[in-house]
Amino acid sequence: MTSGAPLLAISGLVVRYGAVAAVREVDLQVDESEIVSIIGPNGAGKTSLILAVAGIIAPAAGTVIFAGRTLGGIALEDVVAQGIALVPEGRHIFASLTVMENLLLGATVRRDSRAVAADLDRFFAMFPILAERRRQPAGQLSGGEQQQLAIARALLSRPRLLMLDEPSLGLSPMMVDQIYALLSTIRTQGVTILLVEQNAERVFGISNRVCVMSGGKFALAGDAAEIKSHPRFDAAYFGVHVREAASGP
Amino acid sequence: MERLVQILADAVSVGSLYALTALGIGLIFGVMRLINFAHGELITFAAYTLLALFGQPVPIMIFGGIAVAVVLALVTERAAFRPLRNADPTTLLISSFAVSFFLQKLLILVVGSRLKGLDFLPELGRQIEFAGIRLQLLQIVTIIVGIVLLAALTWFLRATRLGLHMRAAAEDFRMARVLGVRANKVIAVAFALSGILAAAVSCLIVVQTGVVQPRMGLQLVIIAFVGTVIGGLGSLSGAALGGFLVGAATILLQAFLPPDLRAFREAFVFIAVALVLLFRPQGLIPARGLKERI
Amino acid sequence: MSEPVRGHGSAVGILKRLWPVLALAAVIAAIAVAASFAPAVLQRRTTQGLINLIAVVGLYVFVGNSGVLSFGNVAFMAIGAYVSALLTMKPTAKSVFLPDLPAVIAHAEWPTLPGALAGGIAAAFVALVIGWPLMRLSGISASIATFAILVVANVVFGNWTSVTGGQNSLMGLPAYVDLWTALAWAVAAIVIAFAYQETRSALLLRASREDEAAAQAAGVDVVRHRLIAFVISAFLSGVAGVLLGHFLGIVRVENFYLDLTFLIVAMLVVGGRGSLTGAVAGAVVIAALTEVLRQIEVGFQVGKTTIAAPAGTGDVILALIMLLIILLRPDGIAAGREFTWPFGRT
Repeated sequence: MTSGAPLLAISGLVVRYGAVAAVREVDLQVDESEIVSIIGPNGAGKTSLILAVAGIIAPAAGTVIFAGRTLGGIALEDVVAQGIALVPEGRHIFASLTVMENLLLGATVRRDSRAVAADLDRFFAMFPILAERRRQPAGQLSGGEQQQLAIARALLSRPRLLMLDEPSLGLSPMMVDQIYALLSTIRTQGVTILLVEQNAERVFGISNRVCVMSGGKFALAGDAAEIKSHPRFDAAYFGVHVREAASGP
Repeated sequence: MERLVQILADAVSVGSLYALTALGIGLIFGVMRLINFAHGELITFAAYTLLALFGQPVPIMIFGGIAVAVVLALVTERAAFRPLRNADPTTLLISSFAVSFFLQKLLILVVGSRLKGLDFLPELGRQIEFAGIRLQLLQIVTIIVGIVLLAALTWFLRATRLGLHMRAAAEDFRMARVLGVRANKVIAVAFALSGILAAAVSCLIVVQTGVVQPRMGLQLVIIAFVGTVIGGLGSLSGAALGGFLVGAATILLQAFLPPDLRAFREAFVFIAVALVLLFRPQGLIPARGLKERI
Repeated sequence: MSEPVRGHGSAVGILKRLWPVLALAAVIAAIAVAASFAPAVLQRRTTQGLINLIAVVGLYVFVGNSGVLSFGNVAFMAIGAYVSALLTMKPTAKSVFLPDLPAVIAHAEWPTLPGALAGGIAAAFVALVIGWPLMRLSGISASIATFAILVVANVVFGNWTSVTGGQNSLMGLPAYVDLWTALAWAVAAIVIAFAYQETRSALLLRASREDEAAAQAAGVDVVRHRLIAFVISAFLSGVAGVLLGHFLGIVRVENFYLDLTFLIVAMLVVGGRGSLTGAVAGAVVIAALTEVLRQIEVGFQVGKTTIAAPAGTGDVILALIMLLIILLRPDGIAAGREFTWPFGRT
C-alpha cells in the first residue's frame, strides 16, 4: 500500500540540552518500507534525533509528522501505541526476566492474544536460538542473541516504524551480518526502518537512503549508492567543515 | 529442648512479621527507588482502624484495616511522591520522612499520644500442643500468614501480566515505559500491595501486643529498613530474607544474651548488620540488573 | 555552592571571599543582640534557637557536601551531652543519679570548656569508628544506616543505666549556657563549617555528589572525603548536644530521638541543604515559625474565652511545611546559594 505521503516527515527539527543544540534544523522524510540509515561519528546528534522522533525528548523546534499525525509531547508509554518501536542503544533487555517474558513485554499494547501467540511462533521460527532459550533469563544470552531478542521484542508490537540505535555495537562481525540480514527480511514484511549507526560500511548494503550526520546537521543525504561513492563522504562524516561539536545524548 | 523449639518458633514468627514489612518497603523501592518511611504509618493507621471498628465482626475489622492502609498508600503516592518521580533519591527520602512525620503528628492531634488497649482476636493467644511442645496459636498463624502472603505475592509477580510489568519496571523503568508499560498504574499497584502487607502486619501486631499507639509502626519499619538494606536494596527476595533474618536475630539474641545485655539486643543486631555490610555492601541478594546507583 | 574567589589577595578580595561567613555571623549576632533586650522567656528561646542552629550547621556539613542525608546526627548530640555531663557535673550530683559510675568519672569535675570540647571530640571519634564502614555504602543505604545509628544510640543510652541513668533524666548539669555562650559557639560553628567547605576535600566531595562513578574514575577517594565530612559534622553536632544539655541543665534520652531529628532535618530542608546560608536560614525561619506555632497553641484571649489550637497542631503544621517545601521548592529557601557580595561583581 503506497500513498504519496511519507510515513515519517521531520522538518526543522531542533533538539537542545540546555544551551547546547544536539540537533540543528534537520529535515528528513522516510517512505513506507524504506530503510533509511543515519550515520555519523559519536556526538553527532543521531541518538537525540531518534529520541525526538520517538517522543522521548521534546524538540525545541520543528515538527515530526508520523502517519499523518503530528507527534509532540506524548508520554513515553504512548510511543508504541503510535506504531513506533524503538530498539535503543545498548539493547536494554530485561536481564532478570526470561526470554519469553521479554518478548511478551513487547506485546504490552496489544490486545489480540491469538495473533500475539501466532507472532511469537513466527519469531521463534525466525530466531531459533531464542526459541531454544525461551525460559532462560535474558541476561544469560550473548550480545548477539540479546540484540535478536531486542529486535524481536520491538517487532512484537507490530510497528509501522522500527528505529534502531547502533544495533551493531559490541557485536562480532558475523553477528552483525545476521542482524543486518534480519533487518532486510523485516523490511520485506512491510516494516519501515530508521537505522542509526556509527559503523558506516554496513548500512550501504541494505539501506535505500543514507544520511550523514555531523554536528547536529545532515552533511550529506541521498541514495545509498550515491552517498557511498561520494567524493566528500569522509569530510562529511568527520565533520571537517563543522566548527563546534554538538554534545551528544 | 522444648524451650529451644519455642524460641525458634518465636524467631520464625517474628521474622515472618519483619519479612512482610520489609517486602512492603521493598516493593516500593523496586519501582520507585523510594524508601517509604510512611510505611510505618500505614501499619499504625490500619491498627487505629481496627480500634475504631472494634465491635464489628472480625472480617469487617480486617477489611477496614486493609481498606484504610491501601487508600492511605495511594493518597500518599499521588500527593507526595508522584510529583517527585524524577527527583534524586535523597529528595525522595526526605519526602517520605516528611510524610511519615506528618501522618504521625496528625494522628496524635486527632487521637492523642497515649496508647490504647485493643483486645483483638484474643483466641489466638491460646496455647496449643504440637508434638509435645506448647506453642502459641498466634505464632503459627503469623508464620502461615507470612508464607501465604509471600506465596501470593510471588505468584502475582510471576504469573500475571501486571506482575510482569512491575518486575520489568523495577529493573529498567524507562525501557518498560518505552514498551508501553504504564508507570502510574505499576506504581499505584505497588503502593496498594504494600498497603495490604502493612494491614496484615498491623493485625498480627495488634493481636500480639494488644495495644495501639501512634508510634507503633516505627519500631517495625526501622528494623525492616535495616533488613532491606542488608538483604540487598532492589531485590524482593533480599528484602524478605533480610527482614526475616534481622527479625529472627532480635528474638534469638533476646533468648541467648546474658540478662544484663538483653536490653541492648537491637544494638547487637545492628552491629552485626554493619559487619555484614562491611564485607558485602551490596547486600546478601543484590538485585540483578540494578542500573541506577541508589 | 560557593566557589572560592580567586586572584584577589587584597583586603577587598579577602573580604569578598569571607563574605558569606561574615554576613551570617552578623545576622545571628544581630538576632542575639535584639533578643537581649527582650523578656527572659524570649531570650531563652533564642538561646535554644542558636543551639539548634549549631545542630543544623553540623548536619549541613555532612549532608550539604556529600549529598547523603544523615538521620544520625542527633545521636552525636546525645553523645556530646552525656560526655560533657559526666565530666562537668559535680561529683555529689553524680553520686545521686549515677551511683555506679567508674571512680575516675565519678570524681571528675572538669571546667565547662574542656568538657564541651570533650563532648564534641567524643562524638567525632564515634563517627570516625562507625563511619569507616558506613561511608562505603551507597547514598540511600548510608542514610538508612545513619538511621540505625540513631536507634542504636537511643537503645544504648536508654539502657546503660549505670553511665547515663537510662530512661531517667540526668539532672544537675551546670547550666552555663546563656545567650552569649550560645552565640559564641554558633559563630564558631559557622566559621568551622565555612572553613571546611572551602577545603579541597570538601570540593572533591561536592564534585562526587553529582556523579559518583565519574569521581571515582577520576581517582577521587569518595569514602575518605565523606568520612572527613562525617567526623566534622559529628563534632559540631556533639557540641550542639553539649550546649543543649547545659542549657536545659538536664539530659533525657527521649529528647535526643526522632522529634529532634525531625526538627533539625526540617530546618535544613526548609533553609536549603546545599549551602551554609541555607542551613542558617532554615534554623532562623523554623525557630521563628515554631514561636508562632507555639503561640497558636497557647491561644489568644478574646473576651472571656481563649481561642487556642489543640495541642499538637504546631507539629502537624511544621511537618506540612516541610512537605510543601520538598514538593514545591526542593532546594529550600537558599536554593544552594550562599550570601553573595552585594557590592558590585567579583
